[in-house]
Amino acid sequence: MKLLLVEDNERVTRFVTKGLHEAGHAVDHAGNGRDGLFMAASEPYDVIIMDRMLPGQIDGLGIIEALRRSGNRTPILILSALSDVDERIRGLQAGGDDYLTKPFAFGELLARLDALGRRGQDAKGASDRTLEVDNLRMDLLSRKVQRGPRAIVLQPREFKLLEYLMRHADQVVTRTMLLENVWEYHFDPQTNVVDVHVSKLRQKIDVAPERPLLRTVRNAGYMITSHD
Amino acid sequence: MKRLFRSSAAVLATGYVVFGVAALVLFAVPLWYAWQRTVEQGRAELLNADAQRLTEVFRRTGADGLKSFIDERVGLQIPGERILLVTDSAFHPLAGNLSEWPRSVPAQAGTYTVQLNLQGHPTRAVFVHVKLDGGYNVLVGRDTARYAPVEQDFWYGLAGAVAVLAIVGVLGGVLIRRTLMMRIQGIQDTVAAIMQGRLSHRLDTSRSGDELDTLSQTINGMLEQIEHLINGVRNVSNSIAHDLRTPLAELRSRLEELSLTRPAPGETFAEIDAALADVDRVIAIFNALLRLAQIDSGMRRSGFVPIDAAKVAADAVEFYLPAAEVKGVSLTYRDSGTAPTSGDPVLLMQAVSNLIDNALKYVPPGGTVSVKAVRGDGDAVEIAVEDNGPGVTDSEKPKLVERFYRGDASRGTPGVGLGLSVVDAVARLHGGVLQLADNNPGLRARLVVMASGPHVT
Repeated sequence: MKLLLVEDNERVTRFVTKGLHEAGHAVDHAGNGRDGLFMAASEPYDVIIMDRMLPGQIDGLGIIEALRRSGNRTPILILSALSDVDERIRGLQAGGDDYLTKPFAFGELLARLDALGRRGQDAKGASDRTLEVDNLRMDLLSRKVQRGPRAIVLQPREFKLLEYLMRHADQVVTRTMLLENVWEYHFDPQTNVVDVHVSKLRQKIDVAPERPLLRTVRNAGYMITSHD
Repeated sequence: MKRLFRSSAAVLATGYVVFGVAALVLFAVPLWYAWQRTVEQGRAELLNADAQRLTEVFRRTGADGLKSFIDERVGLQIPGERILLVTDSAFHPLAGNLSEWPRSVPAQAGTYTVQLNLQGHPTRAVFVHVKLDGGYNVLVGRDTARYAPVEQDFWYGLAGAVAVLAIVGVLGGVLIRRTLMMRIQGIQDTVAAIMQGRLSHRLDTSRSGDELDTLSQTINGMLEQIEHLINGVRNVSNSIAHDLRTPLAELRSRLEELSLTRPAPGETFAEIDAALADVDRVIAIFNALLRLAQIDSGMRRSGFVPIDAAKVAADAVEFYLPAAEVKGVSLTYRDSGTAPTSGDPVLLMQAVSNLIDNALKYVPPGGTVSVKAVRGDGDAVEIAVEDNGPGVTDSEKPKLVERFYRGDASRGTPGVGLGLSVVDAVARLHGGVLQLADNNPGLRARLVVMASGPHVT
């Protein structure tokens, strides 16, 4: 993906740029608000990573609002030390698509960027009535799930969890992303409850000798994939 | 003196006196007018009747008859009661109790009020002057000085009333001012003490519950909140000092050791992972403290929306159910209908989650945790989390909500010791309370919230 990082802190910039390069992404960097707005408006990017407090006359929210007013729909991930729920809401209301607070784990940032980049592609295609990964098939209208010929009965929340994982197939999904999007928990419950939910779901969809689809990615989260 | 006139008591007293005098004047003037009219009218009628009678006597008996009639009347009456005089056409006295025609009474017939000397005393008198056939003049008069004492009494009375009013006003003003100053002095002393940092001082509210008491109670409520906030800040800084320093020290020594010993790559990476875990723990504590401070400041009250506490509780139970199953604990939600209230959905969810998480942590395998949400008295809504675990001793209960306090049973379990502090803070933000009680056996945690939010006291 082609990414734009608007961030004034050098250390964070170096850390993020290096990591994203290693993950195979191209990264442009703007060190202040003015350059950030100029680059975001003049180049097509897959995702923009935006700090909120920036030097250069315009802050992160100002850039996002300006971009959205001019019809730019590039997905934007806000990266900020302002961690209040209210600040988060303000960021999303200004036109941001996701909000990650500093300090953050790089895996979390990468997973969220992947999810946002995918969302951009999804928007171009038609909305699916079914989701498929290998021989696992989810019908979103009848709310039925099948693994090959085997029908799988899921609780509503398990269905939502699987749907989220399948919508982000072949991408790492972090525990925080699951908490926010499946349970709408906007705080860290400091437990391994998400792991328990996922392992319960795994018992239902990956039954030996079927090929395991739902993988645990160490130090990051989970991924549903048909690739080895 | 300048201060006195600026004081509200002086203004009050002056106003009272002015108003009192005005009321008195409004009352006295019509009275005085009525009195004057009645007396003068009566007097004139009496004098006219007298004159009429004398004219009648003259017509029946002539001048001599009139003279003897007047002599007889003068002899009979109390001296000074009535002035009678008959003169000839040249105003020479013929009979009566006046030695000569008063010069101030005109020669024409009519009714006059004049000044004259009567037996050496200057006085005012009313006269009716009638002319009879043959040029005779009859003068009937009455000394108005008779009523002077009454009138004087009236004026003295009025002046006395004004004086009493003024004295009472001034004294009352001084008294009110003195009382007010005493009470205000008390408030000022307390406030001064508070300004010097003695935050536990409170205003005296032992009096009868008057207006100043009400004000004092309001101020005391405010002081309570301020003290609470300041203690909160103090607690946070103490907590930061104590509980952030420990993991930071660990982290530092870990990194320092790494830098000094430069171990093999495998070991280095294990140490780095451990260091990252340390940092995550610091961040978790930091976030929890920030959130606590934010809740305590009451700012999040703006985010209140109507919510169903029953749904919050059911969702939390659903979230923790698999974890409970893994541990072999029976976690159930007892449905008893909706429990509508207003609050912050994220915080309430977190509070209920913390309670369930706590219960699951301490209940041994095979135990039960039961959650319910019910409508309480009035607009209160109660979410109860009951377990049959080891419970908590009475002496430990109040300490549980203190920041970073960890019960004896919790040693060796994960957590930073802020869970119940957060629940308590959320309860208070919602005008409610967190109650910990025995469940015989186990612990019953009741989170009570008010739909109308906290009362401002």
